[in-house]
Amino acid sequence: MEHYDLLVIGGGAAGIAAATAACGAGCASVAIVDRKPTLGGVLLQCTHRGFGNNLTGIEYARQLLKDLPPEVTLIFNTTVLSVEDTRVAHLSGGRRLSFSQLILATGCREIPMGALPIAGTRPKGVYTAGQMQEMMNLHGFVPEGPAVILGSGDLGLILANQLAQVGIPATLVEKQAHCGGLTRNRKCLGDSHVRLICGQTVTEVSGQKKLEACHLSGGDWIVCKTLLLAVGLRPERTLVSHLGNPIWLHLCGNCNTVHPMVEGVLSEAIQAGQTAWETMREHG
Amino acid sequence: MEAYDVAVIGGGILGCFAARNVRRWNLSVALLEAAEDVCTGITRANSAVVYAGYDNKPGSRKAEMTVRGNGNYESLCRELEVPFCRCGSLLVTYDGASLPKLQKKLSEGLKNGVPGLRLLTGAEAQAMEPMLRPGVAGALYAPSTGTVNPWLLGIAAFENAVENGATAYRNTAVTDIEKTDTGYLLKTNRGPIPCRTVINCAGLFADRVQELLFPRSTRLHWDGAEYLVLDKAAPKPRMVLFHQASSCGKGITAVPCVEGNLLISGVRKEIETPFATTPEGLRELHRAAKALLPELDLNQVIRSFAAVRPNPYREGGQSLHDFCIENPGPGFYSLIGIKTPGLTCAEELGRYVAQEAAAFLKAQPNPDFNPHRHAIPKSDDSKIVCQCQGITRSEILEAIRRGASTVDGIKRRLGSGMGPCQGSRCAFAIETILEGYRNGTL
Ligand SMILES: Cc1cc2nc3c(=O)[nH]c(=O)nc-3n(C[C@H](O)[C@H](O)[C@H](O)COP(=O)(O)OP(=O)(O)OC[C@H]3O[C@@H](n4cnc5c(N)ncnc54)[C@H](O)[C@@H]3O)c2cc1C
Ligand SMILES: Cc1cc2nc3c(=O)[nH]c(=O)nc-3n(C[C@H](O)[C@H](O)[C@H](O)COP(=O)(O)OP(=O)(O)OC[C@H]3O[C@@H](n4cnc5c(N)ncnc54)[C@H](O)[C@@H]3O)c2cc1C
Repeated sequence: MEHYDLLVIGGGAAGIAAATAACGAGCASVAIVDRKPTLGGVLLQCTHRGFGNNLTGIEYARQLLKDLPPEVTLIFNTTVLSVEDTRVAHLSGGRRLSFSQLILATGCREIPMGALPIAGTRPKGVYTAGQMQEMMNLHGFVPEGPAVILGSGDLGLILANQLAQVGIPATLVEKQAHCGGLTRNRKCLGDSHVRLICGQTVTEVSGQKKLEACHLSGGDWIVCKTLLLAVGLRPERTLVSHLGNPIWLHLCGNCNTVHPMVEGVLSEAIQAGQTAWETMREHG
Repeated sequence: MEAYDVAVIGGGILGCFAARNVRRWNLSVALLEAAEDVCTGITRANSAVVYAGYDNKPGSRKAEMTVRGNGNYESLCRELEVPFCRCGSLLVTYDGASLPKLQKKLSEGLKNGVPGLRLLTGAEAQAMEPMLRPGVAGALYAPSTGTVNPWLLGIAAFENAVENGATAYRNTAVTDIEKTDTGYLLKTNRGPIPCRTVINCAGLFADRVQELLFPRSTRLHWDGAEYLVLDKAAPKPRMVLFHQASSCGKGITAVPCVEGNLLISGVRKEIETPFATTPEGLRELHRAAKALLPELDLNQVIRSFAAVRPNPYREGGQSLHDFCIENPGPGFYSLIGIKTPGLTCAEELGRYVAQEAAAFLKAQPNPDFNPHRHAIPKSDDSKIVCQCQGITRSEILEAIRRGASTVDGIKRRLGSGMGPCQGSRCAFAIETILEGYRNGTL
């Protein structure tokens, strides 16, 4: 069976930085597995500025990759299906890898419609925010307007910005009394296409085939063709949930805790890379 | 066009099984479905329970078909390569005053021939199913109750019917019916289809379809049910649990599905918008679920949806309790308002109406009928498209080759998009594969 001293699952900001740090510390046998065809993770769908020194996510990913040593083995288009406590990872396509240390850098996933207490029909036109960001920025998809965006955190605001740029009117609906995101993302609120409603939530949707309207807790119906859910992210760590806390397992990035800023992801990832290498030297 | 011996109207699970069973005879058969795919109606939204048969009146057609249908489920699902789980069920009550009702079901069930049926004390029930809220007064245990994926089974029957020579017309709605010298002429949005006999399996619209030619007899009154689906990872009971409505709340059913998700449902008597859940309904369902299974983690709900149930009433208002199979004209058979346990009895009902048509047409058995259908094989393609469910590109392509033409059609055949992210990561990728297939760029 193929063996690596360090296996990194996920090649987003966290996975890249962790692999780079482990190599820098002296680890010679490192592999990153990612289900996508390239490294970068969620950064690649971020065309907005706000990463590091006011870079776009794509530029930021390019910068991170400059430091990644070429000897790291990259395994793309491959999903890790399961991890055994005997330190074997099962990959899609039937491949298996053994490893000494494992870094989990699988990012997070969004909370979909079904998980929210939203009643009504189940029409087309409801998306999670990250899904829409990927569809727009990587595949050129343009959603039908008007749109309702549930959640006014950074992700919701970034989407409202983007919709405003293409002239699609959007209503941000926020449960809290105030808009949640960073000040720099709030500039869209000045746009005439963007409206913010605070202290309310979406309780019901209507439309048999396609979305027609959203009902708010305040009692109003808002006519819309698209509903975007930006209501939170959950760490993606089902792969290791059965493992307990073995010393060879290290979590970093959004699969550990959801980070608002990429800097937080990086410092955690560098730490994880170094710890993995130290544990490897001490315990094998 | 030469007349088909049999035309089946409606490609829900009942129409698919009717078509399959017509091919047990030397008869040509056409299956006409209004939607772009089969099994998108009632069959897509129900409780997935293979009932034991203690709920039905002894001597009724329902009782007889349910017990026989249930008994044959392993072999049926083996033939069609569909997963089936005989997990057993408990009908529980927390109210001592309801015990006589359980007694009655026990004695009727035994009369119906339900195997292994017995009454349990509260303690026995709780030992069997520790997730139950303490204080169970008694329970009816039915080891033969099972669960199956309804649309997967319907699609399997459809594929098997087509492999055996049935002709499928999708996107084909019957809009009018005429009587002819040799049978019937079905008018559709895609032209007329002549046939010698008709099996009407139009689900929620079976009454209206019959009324296209015959006088009004039985009308369907729609009510509904609401559902919650929990993530596979959530803790769940081992058995199907039924909790009847009582003073302490709404009655619910909890079903540990073959795929590993828990399905929780409650009936709703009045519906405003078909296929829509209501805020109150969902709240009530949450409350009732917690009341039965306090340890349930409702943060792990990944989907909620509503179903519509057709209840047959005679002209004049009398509600029908047994399966309603009408024969309003020569060689015309209607399955009207087949609600629970229609899934349990799908093959039985299919066999029965096919036999009626065959007797009317004086047909001989078809010696070439092959009851076996092969499931879409798991591929070891490394390109996984649906991350939650581990579904590969090759499997998706096979589902398309077998007739899926939408993201939902692929979902029904493979379970893609039914994991915790509910398709938010794969729907677009699957749409792209479908488009590539349609344009021939794959
Ligand atoms: C929409 C959005 C906008 C943001 N905007 C900003 C911003 O403006 N400024 C800022 O500083 N920060 C921003 N952030 C925060 C931060 O930049 C990101 O959270 C960070 O890039 C996440 O990195 P990660 O490696 O933890 O996760 P991801 O980038 O999600 O990487 C996870 C990787 O793991 C792979 N993977 C997962 N499971 C498997 C498996 N089983 N097998 C194989 N591969 C797998 C995935 O394909 C993915 O490539 C934003 C975050 C989001 C979501
Ligand atoms: C809420 C609920 C829960 C249930 N739970 C269970 C259970 O746990 N166990 C069990 O055994 N049974 C259960 N049942 C019963 C079972 O689901 C049904 O008996 C079965 O699915 C009915 O299938 P069908 O083929 O009649 O209907 P459908 O699946 O609705 O199929 C009818 C088809 O006819 C088509 N059609 C309609 N009009 C036309 C036309 N004019 N031209 C062409 N096509 C047309 C429709 O498009 C549709 O596809 C439940 C039913 C309901 C409603």
